[in-house]
Amino acid sequence: MKKYTKKILSMTATGLVAASFCNLRPARLAGQDQRTITDSLSRTLTVPAKVGRVLSLQSEITRLIVALGAADNLVGIDYFLRTNDRLFRIVYPDQARLPLTSMADYNVNMETLTRLNPDIIFGAPEDRQVCESLQAKIKIPVIALASTGRFDRLLEELKLLGDILNRKERAAELAAYFKEIIAGIQNIVLEEPGAKKPRVYLTFYGALNRTPVFYEPVNAAGGINLAQNLAPASLGVDKTVVDVEQIIKWNPDFILIHGNYPPRERIVTVENVLRDPRLAAVAAVKNKKVFYTFGFWNWWDMGQVLVESLYLAKLFYPDKFAGVQIDKEGNKIFKKIYGIDSLYSSLCKFLRCDEWTHE
Amino acid sequence: MNGRMNNRRRQGLGVLIYFLPLLVFLLSLLIGTVRIPVKDLLKTLASPLFPSLKQSLPANALIIIFSVRIPRLLLGLAVGASLSVSGASLQALFKNPLVNEFILGISSGAAFGASLSLVFLGRSFPPQISAFVFAIAAMVIVLAIGRKSDSPTIALLLTGVIVSAFFSALLSLIEFFASPYALQALFYWLMGNLWRASWGDLAVSLPLMAAGILILILMRWRMNVLSMTDEEAKTLGINIRKEKLLVILMTAGITAAATAVAGIIGWVGLIIPHLVRMMVGVDNRKVIPMSAALGASFLMIADNITRSIASFEVPVGIFTSLIGIPFFIVLLKRSKKVWL
Repeated sequence: MKKYTKKILSMTATGLVAASFCNLRPARLAGQDQRTITDSLSRTLTVPAKVGRVLSLQSEITRLIVALGAADNLVGIDYFLRTNDRLFRIVYPDQARLPLTSMADYNVNMETLTRLNPDIIFGAPEDRQVCESLQAKIKIPVIALASTGRFDRLLEELKLLGDILNRKERAAELAAYFKEIIAGIQNIVLEEPGAKKPRVYLTFYGALNRTPVFYEPVNAAGGINLAQNLAPASLGVDKTVVDVEQIIKWNPDFILIHGNYPPRERIVTVENVLRDPRLAAVAAVKNKKVFYTFGFWNWWDMGQVLVESLYLAKLFYPDKFAGVQIDKEGNKIFKKIYGIDSLYSSLCKFLRCDEWTHE
Repeated sequence: MNGRMNNRRRQGLGVLIYFLPLLVFLLSLLIGTVRIPVKDLLKTLASPLFPSLKQSLPANALIIIFSVRIPRLLLGLAVGASLSVSGASLQALFKNPLVNEFILGISSGAAFGASLSLVFLGRSFPPQISAFVFAIAAMVIVLAIGRKSDSPTIALLLTGVIVSAFFSALLSLIEFFASPYALQALFYWLMGNLWRASWGDLAVSLPLMAAGILILILMRWRMNVLSMTDEEAKTLGINIRKEKLLVILMTAGITAAATAVAGIIGWVGLIIPHLVRMMVGVDNRKVIPMSAALGASFLMIADNITRSIASFEVPVGIFTSLIGIPFFIVLLKRSKKVWL
């Protein structure tokens, strides 16, 4: 019996040592055609010229990959898209068959990741350490990308993904469509160059005084984000916390509340803001211009960015956009991006968009 | 001669500390993003009595003073006083200078309660109420387990550590399953803030905190007895068990009320009593009320700094921890003895 135990133990040990050596593989890129790219962390990375297997830990990138028609390249799916993103389940039902690559606490499942053996991995710039340690451990390029509220970055991401995944034409088509919609909105809102733009305060991230310092849909829709570039934006931070007095001092024409998650999970609500005695003198509250808006949903969705811009333009300039039916236009935008009908209607059913306006 | 000078200096310092909260409160009314000159501030404060003054007030002055600054300052005052008195009382009771106001598992209970509300219960059960309920629940569990021991003081401390760990584990479990948006709200709540201050919250929490602080101040002379050994205290005719239970109930109650409305603001209950002991000695008859006054002033000043130092606001809980830790190290280095 002892003899067998010894044998089993020695075989197991040999197996483990062999397995650990297998993990210490040489850099995958040696001998392959390569290209260099620069990610959102300004790191220059070398990636294979031909990419087949892609793993994205950043929801915005996964959505763009699907929009580019490269969903078949995906070898795994992150926890958020699998469990929290109802729209993505409709956009890409096959995600249910992909292995889960992150856990409920958003930590990466290293074993699954190694087993999936992707050519490249996409991560979030805010997880710099994760990206760098992953790359050092498994010798696969980890590209950190995010648009953080800016259109130019979203378009750069799209172009980069198109190049990497060999979907240049589709990327160019989507970029042109994106620009066309935004230009269409801006042509209308900028009809009178000297006209007073609505001043907007965004209450995001589950607290009245937390606000994004970059949020381009407001600008595109002809508004002014009052917290735009507010410190500590210079440090690359995408959100800030302001004093309630600052909101009163700004006296915004509109207050927009992040509404892109299940109604029961909303901490700040339209009713709360309208009832808050501290904000009673604010123009947005006095004129009942307090609305929900889409905002981020674990990073952006290109379709939602466009719908958001159109929705905000209609909120800010109801007369100019009187003929625009957001439901109809929203479904058209999502159809163009994901090729699926009635996506906007499905999203609105979940978010209860019918409760969003008071007019 | 020197002794008399020192006594006079201490008396002067004592008087200053007692008046400090009022002074800080009044000066803080002038601090904020919106500039309100002294003349307009006085007119605003007098306007409820003389309604005709309202017409000459700057725009929004009434709202800024009565709906933003006064509730926030009152909350800072009450929370600062509660945490300091709680820390000072527990340090005397447990005869341990490192005991803080959260030792009985109160902060973990409150954090768990808030997380339960923010992640699962939604708006139907506000985090303030849930935090208070679970802070009290943590305290009740600690008392129920700890009191049965032969040496209840040590047992209570140990049970506090265990209950704290238990609620921390439950909090981690909730964080594990929470959606990223609920997590954002939860982390922000846990940082400790005074910006949510409203008359509605104050109407519930202020009487609770005021009553608890008052009772503990009234018990200040007994704290000196309780900080002796149990045998010594018994010879003075004190019902130790009853007195200790009352102190624990009051400290837990005011800490729970403070944490429920302001989140977790650490270090106040540790720094302030030590600072007071450095200034006036170890007599709890002075330490307890002075801790209340200095704690109230400290938190109001800290909040003034966090909301006016930059264009963005830093949660006051982060600030107290950031300045509390180095401050405490300096205090420990400068002090040549442990006060109790």
